[in-house]
Amino acid sequence: MPEPKAGYDRATRRLWPLLAAPGVLWLIAFFLVPFYAVMAVAFSGTIDIFGEPIPAWNPLDWQFGTFTGVVSDSVSGTFQAVWTRTALYSFWALLICVAIGYPVAYYTARLAGRRRGLILALILAPWWINYITRMLAWVNLLQDDGYVNNFLRLFGVTPISWLSGNSFTVVVALAYGYLPFFIIPLFASLDRIDQRLLEASRDLGIGPIRTFLHVTLPLSRMGLITALVITALPMAGDYYTNTLVSGSPNTNMVGNQIELFLLQGPLKNLGASLVLLLSLLLLVFMAYYLVLTQRASRDAR
Amino acid sequence: MPRRIAADSGNQNIYGAALEFAGPYRSDSLNNQSIAHVHGGSDRLRVDREGIGMNFDPQDPSSRRPRQRPQLTRRDVLRGGLWLSAGIGVAPLLAACNKQTPAAQQDGGAPYPLARPDSPVTLPIKDSNSAIADGLEPETGGVFKILNYSDYMAPGVMKDFGAKHNVQVEVTPYNNYDQMLAKIREPGESFDLVFPGPSVLSKMVYTDLIQPLNHSYLPNLKNVWPEYQDPWYDRKAQYTTPYTVYTTGVAYRADRVSTVPEVGYDLLWDKEYAGKVYLLDDPGEAIGMSLLRNNITTDINTGDPELVQQATDKLIELIDLVNVKTTVSAYSLIPEGTATVHQCWSGDMIAGQYYLPKGETTDVLGYWLPSAETDRVIGNDVIAVPAAAAKPVLAHAMINDLLDNAISLKNFGWNGYQPPLNKLSPQYLIDQGYIPDNLMNTVVLPGDFKNGLTFYEVSPSTEALWRTSWASFKAGA
Repeated sequence: MPEPKAGYDRATRRLWPLLAAPGVLWLIAFFLVPFYAVMAVAFSGTIDIFGEPIPAWNPLDWQFGTFTGVVSDSVSGTFQAVWTRTALYSFWALLICVAIGYPVAYYTARLAGRRRGLILALILAPWWINYITRMLAWVNLLQDDGYVNNFLRLFGVTPISWLSGNSFTVVVALAYGYLPFFIIPLFASLDRIDQRLLEASRDLGIGPIRTFLHVTLPLSRMGLITALVITALPMAGDYYTNTLVSGSPNTNMVGNQIELFLLQGPLKNLGASLVLLLSLLLLVFMAYYLVLTQRASRDAR
Repeated sequence: MPRRIAADSGNQNIYGAALEFAGPYRSDSLNNQSIAHVHGGSDRLRVDREGIGMNFDPQDPSSRRPRQRPQLTRRDVLRGGLWLSAGIGVAPLLAACNKQTPAAQQDGGAPYPLARPDSPVTLPIKDSNSAIADGLEPETGGVFKILNYSDYMAPGVMKDFGAKHNVQVEVTPYNNYDQMLAKIREPGESFDLVFPGPSVLSKMVYTDLIQPLNHSYLPNLKNVWPEYQDPWYDRKAQYTTPYTVYTTGVAYRADRVSTVPEVGYDLLWDKEYAGKVYLLDDPGEAIGMSLLRNNITTDINTGDPELVQQATDKLIELIDLVNVKTTVSAYSLIPEGTATVHQCWSGDMIAGQYYLPKGETTDVLGYWLPSAETDRVIGNDVIAVPAAAAKPVLAHAMINDLLDNAISLKNFGWNGYQPPLNKLSPQYLIDQGYIPDNLMNTVVLPGDFKNGLTFYEVSPSTEALWRTSWASFKAGA
């Protein structure tokens, strides 16, 4: 390989930061600044006449009483149930995503052949319709005298009230809402698996199930984790799905609690504290994910 | 430590309510001039009302704008000096004294006098926020923006008004006063008409959210009940005119509820109606109802953390018991049958008859309210013009319209909320067929206010207490 010229080298060194500049500016304007604002509200020590916190822009004025109060109430207290529900609902919804999404992605990537484009289009088609509209469709299906209950009645099942604080409905709605986010990255990863590795496995006399377990699954591991992360992040902060299909305190997730504090009253310091706490938790998961991808790309080299 | 009134709460949930109002003897409060210090994590509610009273002077023209920090007045300095000379050693003693007077907690921390029927309030009018001049022409063209509960004004009335004045009438809805206040204070937002209640009025005047009315545009004010010509929450009706009167009760489906217990609130705690039980999405109404139903206290404006917590715990019971939900839509949920039991305002059930599906009669609607007048929760909503209104003259015109007998009747015929107008007496409304026989108890009489229970404006610390308790209910803990 020929040595690059010194001038070229310097130019590229200047070029890369320049190319990164828009992204960096974007991050500063739309992530760092708002995040700082959230901190200024969460750590505010003063409230105005409406009971609303006055943002403490100067870090020297920060008071952590509200935040630590929210943390301790999240561990054991008022918000414990909210966090437990968020974790459980996300877990079950992700499980449904894996159960449905993995076979679909696998089929599309490996077996669909010529119909693959069509199937991908069908997976993405719901995205053409507004999320809230799709959720309202569920409301129509599941309401007390809706299609689902009418169908069940044919078999003599007493109508179930799906929409009044039913955890099952919330989990299903969450899984439904975020399934496409799950399938697409997984499909990309499965699609990239070298066909020859599977042929080699078969040539060595290994059956399809063991091939899947020992070749396909390990090779798609990173794709699976990416899909889980991409789906889990918005699920953890989701509130409108829940509002539409339940709206009961019985199924309130942390997103609903944040919405209550930030949009429906003056206790914004509590809401901001919950936002920070949620961000911190998700940051831990993100960090773990980054470590995994780093390790995977190192192994690949 | 400076003197404090410490109201022991004994619960972990209300750290948000743990306000500490620092008095002027504290050097940091003199420097920062902060209204209140929130010390989270603490499980006590500390209120120092004297201090706040000093920091806030409603008469002070310099503390005009919303959210502006209070200025240090000469009185502050004098009192501060007094306190300093009295010495900090005396402070704990005084705090202990104050603790024993419940009245001290009543308006603890409010920078303005809290209006009560037995101590009426004349709201201050500042030079900087004065009423519009006489004899102006109403604005035309563009959008006329109303901030109101949804379905609280007849679309026909708004349409007529829009056509008459060549404007497009637009409603921004809210569910409760907290949401209303958040919306009206949004930077860059300006509404032309707003519908608050006495429980948030002083605060809105104090922070210049609403402007004084010019009565020369409101000849129809003479139509309202005499007590509302000069109401206790706004003497001489300087900032508001009444809009509606209502009681708070329990709506139920008469076809599904076989027997109504003596205390109708019990319907909400009845397992038989699980999944179809709703509360008003309003911290005051819901917690207040629980205070009454569970015989905790009849003071529905209580600032006692212990009592509010007990009431909230009882509401939390409803989550597991009947899977309770919260809305302000009883007027549609009960007629549609989505709800079997819904805490509601009386007007919701009169409106309910217009939301019945085809083939159903008003017989399916039922409304319960306490038989003893002294146990009834009764209230009224008012109309006001936001200070930031772009069409204040037109806003006056709409208020005058809403106090007009014919227009008001048309409005009532749609939203079901009784306007306190002399001509539209309960008997008249019944005779005109607006109120079905089985819903006669939804009617409010002028005398009812004398004995009933009303939500008043309370101190910031009490407000914070109710809100955090409400949040713990919403968390479904």
